[in-house]
Amino acid sequence: MSSVSAPNNATESINPFNVIARFNRSKIKQFTNVEIVIAFILFVTIVVLAVFGQWLQTHDPMQGDLMARFAAVGTKGYLLGSDHLGRDLWSRAVAGLQWSMACALTANIINLFIGTTLGLMAAEKEGWARTIIRQFTDTMQSLPFLIVAIVVVVIVGHGFVPLVLTLGLLSWVVYMRVTYAEASSIYQRDYVKAAHIAGVNRFAIMFGHVLPGVRASLFVIFAFHFAGLLIAESALSFLGIGAPLGVPTWGNMLAESRQYLLKAPWMLLVPAGAIVMAVITMNLVGDGIAGLARKRGRSIDV
Amino acid sequence: MESPASRVSAAAVSTFDRYSKAHTRMTTAPASHNVLRIDNLALHFISQGDVVEALKGISLDISAGEVVGVVGESGSGKSVTALNILRLLPRSKIKIPHGTVSVLDRDVLTMNENELRKIRGGEVSMIFQEPMTALNPVLRVREQMFDVIMRHQKITPDEAAKLSLQLLSDMKIQDPERVFMAYPHELSGGMRQRVMIAMAFSCQPKLILADEPTTALDVTVQAQILNLLKERATATRTAVMLITHDLAVVAQLCNRVYVMYKGKIVEHGKTRDVIGKPQHAYTKALLNALPEGKQPKSRLETVAAVMIESATGEKPAGVKTLTPLKDSGRSAPQAKFVRFGRGQPIFEAVNATVRYPKKYDFFGRPVSYQTAVDHVNLSLFEGETLSIVGESGCGKTSFANTVVGLASLAEGQLKYKGKDLKDHDEITRREIQIVFQDPQSSLDPRWPIWRIMTEPLTVGKKPSKKQLRDTAEELCEMVGLDPHAIDRLPHEFSGGQRQRIAIGRALSVHPRLLLLDEPTSALDVSVQAQILNLLLDLQDKFDLSYLFISHNVAVVRHISDRVAVMHMGKIVESGAADQVLSRPAHAYTRTLMDAVPTLERAFAAA
Repeated sequence: MSSVSAPNNATESINPFNVIARFNRSKIKQFTNVEIVIAFILFVTIVVLAVFGQWLQTHDPMQGDLMARFAAVGTKGYLLGSDHLGRDLWSRAVAGLQWSMACALTANIINLFIGTTLGLMAAEKEGWARTIIRQFTDTMQSLPFLIVAIVVVVIVGHGFVPLVLTLGLLSWVVYMRVTYAEASSIYQRDYVKAAHIAGVNRFAIMFGHVLPGVRASLFVIFAFHFAGLLIAESALSFLGIGAPLGVPTWGNMLAESRQYLLKAPWMLLVPAGAIVMAVITMNLVGDGIAGLARKRGRSIDV
Repeated sequence: MESPASRVSAAAVSTFDRYSKAHTRMTTAPASHNVLRIDNLALHFISQGDVVEALKGISLDISAGEVVGVVGESGSGKSVTALNILRLLPRSKIKIPHGTVSVLDRDVLTMNENELRKIRGGEVSMIFQEPMTALNPVLRVREQMFDVIMRHQKITPDEAAKLSLQLLSDMKIQDPERVFMAYPHELSGGMRQRVMIAMAFSCQPKLILADEPTTALDVTVQAQILNLLKERATATRTAVMLITHDLAVVAQLCNRVYVMYKGKIVEHGKTRDVIGKPQHAYTKALLNALPEGKQPKSRLETVAAVMIESATGEKPAGVKTLTPLKDSGRSAPQAKFVRFGRGQPIFEAVNATVRYPKKYDFFGRPVSYQTAVDHVNLSLFEGETLSIVGESGCGKTSFANTVVGLASLAEGQLKYKGKDLKDHDEITRREIQIVFQDPQSSLDPRWPIWRIMTEPLTVGKKPSKKQLRDTAEELCEMVGLDPHAIDRLPHEFSGGQRQRIAIGRALSVHPRLLLLDEPTSALDVSVQAQILNLLLDLQDKFDLSYLFISHNVAVVRHISDRVAVMHMGKIVESGAADQVLSRPAHAYTRTLMDAVPTLERAFAAA
């Protein structure tokens, strides 16, 4: 850099201090990206609440105190107020978070597994197997989610397991589509051909070359899909076909709040706020991962 | 090269001045009759605080009616020079410390976007390398030509249509009406490039910047396109700046040539002088690296080790230490240059035919076929090189795919050591290996190179990581890479180095037959010379047989013992390399040979 002996006006760009300063600025900017910081703080908060929720609840979320019905936000002992049965909303919101997270996480993992497996199979197998998998995926996507969920609940009944299975078995389409699209393009690359020619077996190619290539996208979808599942779970509970009645979940809390909307608006605002916060967090995390993947991709995939 | 005057003028143009006080520049700009004049131009790229000096003070001029070549390797700055003339580089990412660029005596660097828009496509137009991406795939040729013409000329659509058809027929397009109404994907590569050139000439430009206009095309098409470009330029007295890495093209087409190396112009002058009597070490090295006119199978001189190392960080070519692989079981190399027809053929193709389904019925069953390879008979002997030459689409890659088992034969038979290749068993899978054309896509970007190079060894076995890494180090030595680099990822290597990695991977399982599918066509001339040397050395050492697939006649002549010329799926001529390429018997071979630009022929014509 310093070897350039250019006329005066060139000094601005090659001044070593300038270069260092610019370098630092870009580095700092990289790490102090406001969005990532906010996402990180929110994410850590949610994880802490989900894991240590038991000890952070101030009351038993199921146990009401009829003397303390409709306590407003900020009432002593009731940080976020209480509901029509005098149950502490903070404790219920935390319990709801645990339920929602457990539900969305399990369903998401089931989605990831089914979708990725089918996507890889469709990308690898040509001919009728691919056609069947793709048609099946299209069929799944065309199913009206709510109606299927209602049918499942009617047949199997309420509860965590039916809810997770409904979400898990019905909403993997996005994973399948992305895996299929990216894996198909990787299967066309010469390095996969080279491996195939050398006699590397199908599974070694699939798990050695193809899956790692799709991985970054899967992380991103995992975060965004998580947010979608949180909403779906709350919606089902709100409609009374998700969590059993009485179980403290955000959806149930919203459903209960309807009758007291004017009397105790905080009954609505607390679970609604919780849902919004959780969904925004997961979306921000998704953005963050996508950004990292892009940055990595630029240097690796050319 | 820096005159005092240019220094002064450069100093006068601070970054600030350039954008605010354009008029002061005009008084200092030297008056000239040049269409293009670049004076002591430096250009830096700035990304994330890093400064990359792309141009380090270049001066260049082109006058009307002249065809001027700019030659250099990738990364030498030749494309940047052209893009900067039209200010097509992102302004936030570049810095121009000094220098001027003037088109028709007007300073381009001081112009605002409005003025530039008039110049772009009007006075200066550009032809890009890849006509598929340069044309908009969703618009008909008509709309795209109209867009350019109507923007720069005040004429009615009827007149524009007439003009477009005239331009297309000037480009020797037989059916201009059809092309005019076609979408780009309906046209062949050569036709698309003709359309691009027609568009470039549509507004009577004074200067055309042609950035590798024929690199993506077949030789026979390339010859036509280059002649057309030259013809049109002469007829309209348009100046052409032809950017290329192919010295033969320059020799054939250009009046003058500039040789660029690492952001500098190292030599310039009349084409005859520069190529006939090169002065600068780099130009000499570049000419010596060409396989053309050299003794076949001789070692090519690579661009001096010093230059290469400083340019690409690549080590000088060649097999440096010859450590034999463990339990290699290879026979010692036999008589060196007598490779022709020795013993039994190692590989034979008997009436090999490949068909691809063209149309399907309702149930997805193919009803008609396209024949890609048509009853091909070939035999390859132990330790020799057989080349298949032909244009793209002639079926050579389809044939290669069947040899390695990526596609199957419709008819006929492939034999390896007398055995039918139909079911690739473990031995043939190991002994037949392939090196692909594009080293970008042939290496998994997420794997360290030791894992890439030893992947074939993991088939059916589970060697320890230590064994694999040791083998990778040996392979690195063998192909001329630094053995300490085995933990790096492919993107940390240059194109030539990546091709070495790919060759290393093929060698890991002690193959007997290497299928080389255009292994050098994605590489620069000097790197090509290194890879060819490496291939010849490896053949000598391990007595390998090569099946070499290429469209580059000079390379084929250099490396082959025997040659088979393929045209539309058929072998039209085969025999000893020297005989086929020097005294072609078949008409197609002659066409192919005539189309290849060579230094010799260019000088004979001049």
